[in-house]
Amino acid sequence: MKPRILLALFIIPLGLIIAAVPQNTTKPYKLTAGEMLSEANTRTQFVTPETVADMIVNKDPLLRLIDVRSQEEFEKFSLSGAINIPLADILSDQYVDILNQDVKMNIFYSNGTLNANEAWMITRQLGYSNNYVLEGGINYWFDAILNPQKPASTSSDEEFAKYDFRRSAGQALGGGAVQAEQNKASTTAKPVITAGPKKKKASGGC
Amino acid sequence: MGPLVINEIISENTNLFLAFIIGIGFGFVLESSGFSSSRKLAGVFYGYDTVVLKVFFTGAITCMLGLLFFSLFGWIDLNLVYVNPTYLTSAVVGGIIMGAGFIIGGFCPGTSFCGAAIGKLDAMVFVVGLFLGVLIFGLGYNLWDGLYMAKNLGAPKISESLGMSDGIFALILILIALAMFTAGEWAEKKFPREEY
Repeated sequence: MKPRILLALFIIPLGLIIAAVPQNTTKPYKLTAGEMLSEANTRTQFVTPETVADMIVNKDPLLRLIDVRSQEEFEKFSLSGAINIPLADILSDQYVDILNQDVKMNIFYSNGTLNANEAWMITRQLGYSNNYVLEGGINYWFDAILNPQKPASTSSDEEFAKYDFRRSAGQALGGGAVQAEQNKASTTAKPVITAGPKKKKASGGC
Repeated sequence: MGPLVINEIISENTNLFLAFIIGIGFGFVLESSGFSSSRKLAGVFYGYDTVVLKVFFTGAITCMLGLLFFSLFGWIDLNLVYVNPTYLTSAVVGGIIMGAGFIIGGFCPGTSFCGAAIGKLDAMVFVVGLFLGVLIFGLGYNLWDGLYMAKNLGAPKISESLGMSDGIFALILILIALAMFTAGEWAEKKFPREEY
């Protein structure tokens, strides 16, 4: 028998089977409870307010702040450039493209750390990466960035350097002035996902 | 090795090492199948030898069926498989340049290294040309980066753009492949060459 006929006898039935069965869209990827615990223990999901402030000041295009508080709270005050995805709606289909991507650095924040961390755990459990949590939440943001306390005169140089950075970042970001109202329009607008740095992968071909 | 790297089951370096091993295996198979002869690849263009077409098309079909069945059994999550983004303009321009290079040189990048490894002079010249091309592209990047990055379509799938399921598209592609194999064997009879 010709190899071509033999090949046809083999692959046509396989093709017929794969055409007839429903497409498998389930996602078998899940973290086990143990893996989740070890990830949570490493605390690598937390991003310090200094890092976030630095990214905002430098207009880092990869940064995307996600406010997981309710819409009312978001409208009262939000960090500059943030979008609102209330924790209750985080599983909604309309946010999948924002949460499941490998270009931007999504940083969740809430008043404290609790809700943002819950959002991170849910997205992590879904297998999404590039999602982080603002350490300390907005309350700590106020203390650390917008209203930093001058360290005692006996403090280390490091403490003073930190204070100087926080003060200058705070001034650049409005120095304690609450930026209300400005984000009202952006609650429904989806952010435009711009192409980030391309992955350097070996291309195929022969 | 995409899913293994993303899930940090293997490191980036292990990935490169595995790629190295697979690459050597690939080169060995290419050479032992006679692909290091430039006449073999040129034969696809002239019609007297369509083995290259058959081998690579069969490889693609096997891979496609394997991925679809693995996904069906829940062994692999196709969403985690990296798909090269499509840049339409550079795909077309690159395809023309590469296709012309195939006919003129009689090698593709992989087979040229196979040929060079066993001491074929034409393959070595081809490899030199390949590096010259890389240099010209790299040094003149500013001249054509607009063209290079134009029309980024993301990672579209033909099945999605045609609005059909992956499985049905796979079946159609299998039928197309078999039709092309038949046409290839017809061409081999129509334009035979005694010795090459």
